[in-house]
Amino acid sequence: MPRDVAIVGTGQTVYARRRTDVSQAGLVREAVDAALEDAELTFADVDSIVVASGPALFGSVNQPEKWLVDGLGGLMKPVVRITSGGGTGLAGALAAMNQVSSGFAERVLVVAYDKLSEGALQYQISTLYDPFWGREFAVGIMGFASAYWRARIETLGHTEEAAAMVGVKNHRNAFLNPYAHVRKEITVEDVLASRPLAWPIKLLDVPPISDGACAVVLASPEAAEKTTAKPAWIRGMSYFGEADNAPDRFMLQSVPLQLAAQRVYKKAGITNPRRQFDVAELQEPYTCFELSYYEGLGLCPTGEAAKLIESGATDMEGDIPCNPSGGCMGANPIGATALIRLAEAALQVTDKAGERQIEGARTALVQAGGGWANLRGVAVVGAERN
Amino acid sequence: MFAGSSNRVGIVASAQTQFKRAWADRQHVDLIGEVVNAALKGSGLRIEDVDFVIDSGSDILDGRSISNCGFLGAMGAHQKEESRVEEDGLWSALYGATKIGAGSAEVGLLVAYSKPSESDVAAFYWSQCEPFYQRPVGFGQAAASGLQAQSYLAEHGLSEEIFADVAAAEWAKAVANPALEIGDAPSAAEVRESGNAAAPLRELEMSQPVDGAVAVVIASQRVAERICPDPVWITGIGTAMDQHAFSRRQRSALPAAAVAAEGAYKRAGIDGPQGLSLAEVSASSSATQLMVLEALGLAEAGKGAALYEDGSKVAINPSGGALPADPIMATGLARLSEAALQLTGRVGHAPEGASSAVVHGAGGVGMQNHCVFTLEV
Repeated sequence: MPRDVAIVGTGQTVYARRRTDVSQAGLVREAVDAALEDAELTFADVDSIVVASGPALFGSVNQPEKWLVDGLGGLMKPVVRITSGGGTGLAGALAAMNQVSSGFAERVLVVAYDKLSEGALQYQISTLYDPFWGREFAVGIMGFASAYWRARIETLGHTEEAAAMVGVKNHRNAFLNPYAHVRKEITVEDVLASRPLAWPIKLLDVPPISDGACAVVLASPEAAEKTTAKPAWIRGMSYFGEADNAPDRFMLQSVPLQLAAQRVYKKAGITNPRRQFDVAELQEPYTCFELSYYEGLGLCPTGEAAKLIESGATDMEGDIPCNPSGGCMGANPIGATALIRLAEAALQVTDKAGERQIEGARTALVQAGGGWANLRGVAVVGAERN
Repeated sequence: MFAGSSNRVGIVASAQTQFKRAWADRQHVDLIGEVVNAALKGSGLRIEDVDFVIDSGSDILDGRSISNCGFLGAMGAHQKEESRVEEDGLWSALYGATKIGAGSAEVGLLVAYSKPSESDVAAFYWSQCEPFYQRPVGFGQAAASGLQAQSYLAEHGLSEEIFADVAAAEWAKAVANPALEIGDAPSAAEVRESGNAAAPLRELEMSQPVDGAVAVVIASQRVAERICPDPVWITGIGTAMDQHAFSRRQRSALPAAAVAAEGAYKRAGIDGPQGLSLAEVSASSSATQLMVLEALGLAEAGKGAALYEDGSKVAINPSGGALPADPIMATGLARLSEAALQLTGRVGHAPEGASSAVVHGAGGVGMQNHCVFTLEV
């Protein structure tokens, strides 16, 4: 039988637009030290390490885990890197989860990071596209994201105002998160009046570019018991992709997101997501994506995302708070962002989230995404096992 | 194989493209699509039966960020669980085996590919070096390989002639492997006369990059036994990474390969490789080829060359190994695929009556990372 997998420690770095005080190796070490301290473990307790980061071009180091290993205490241990675009943090956690669940390892350290100050981000993202057919007219991620939002405005009513409310909410929540480096009070009017980048996407619909790392320690039930009286349990996790050029690709709703949610909800016995989840951490690279995820994750019916955000249900005080951490708006070190969502969910269900704690949170939803919006991950984290 | 898990994982099918210096008339998607189709054909499985895809490739070699994204269709990963392991394909096999071992899936497709003919392979390696101390002095795969070779000879009081003999022996096997299109085998004398690559190593003593793709289908015991008359069971897996700073690494041996092998043997419940039928191993040069064989326990330290002179009870690289044909991100998975084909008698160069194997893959400058599998039929 597969073993349950617990999160027994989390650690996050200070996030900033530029961390000029540390190298990439120093950055990941900061998160790892914090996670091991939280788990009350040392390097010697770690059986295996999974590194997750964005594309190698982001940091201009190929296979960076080969360099980082010295600082990760990984000498003579299994070390592997998973890379899967923006959602790679969760993809890395999933690889680690399988290592624990199968019995390959008892405790696995997952570390995810990006040091985006060291490269030209949108240029490097643009190399995602096919060199013959796509690259000449592709513009980073923003080009197609704006086209699809435009379509969702028409068909699903994901208005500019509704998306602006997502930005206002997440910016407001970021004030409660000591790790967030963007602390800026904004209004719906500010967002609507901000400079269009690729209309309808405007400057304040877009998260910051950050340097940062996050680390999480996963453990088997036996190993977790020795470490902590209060682990967070991974009740399900999945990561789906779809061909970027598939002729039947439907972008009004993300099919890989729905497939991942379906898989994970079944495993965790989630039949009414809105009611059963106490809190959600969603990876929203632009405000419009969070609206789309509400529907894809079943937090509201199709076409009612605008109504959901307007109702205040996803605010801190609402019945399904989304991104109490501030989400990507507070800090966005891309390769780490999805693992941060998982770590934040673990903090919530173990009552360790400080000022951003949702009282009594027992079950948390985590969502991650990357690639050309064609890689999507979902996890359920709980105070109890399945 | 794994503590607390009774799920056996079997290799039920595999395929590779022809490996050659340049597939000038095929794109990545063509090579990948070809092996995915070929692996599934006759396997009793359709793409719909595949639960997940794990793949190995390199953004740097592909000249493309998140390059798996562009190949998901060709890999058959459309609307499936997929992840990219940016390391030699044998680590994709490790991921897949843990996923099935954990009971969270039954059928996995592993894909690895490289097209180094379109890339700067030296840059692929030097860009792995940390940027402050190693890169500015031009450190990379050639420098690391030369230093390893010098240290190996000095440590064991050997002459550089052995490296040419090793390369010639591997090439002689490789030209008999119909999956390789690499030209004629050089004699040991011709190897010695090939240009200087990284003293004391000659050009033909370095692994030679090739274009190609490999696909391997693995399945849970339940599925494997139902669809496959002769599944190849994964009995052990071990992996370990050495430190990055080359100046602090042991250069006359590969201790991380030894730790990886020890892990695999322990899980397989064996003391060493002596009872196994064959070994399929990766190498960056003739020197590391010997070091890998020694680290795996096939020869004592400094005695690897004897396996070529006196013959070996465990058949070494019946496929010709990685020296004549190194598809970089696919090399370890190609070894796994080769070993599985040999154990099921599907290729002519299989040792007679072979029933078990050790398989090795590596990654990094100077072979910093190692992964070892043991197999049986």
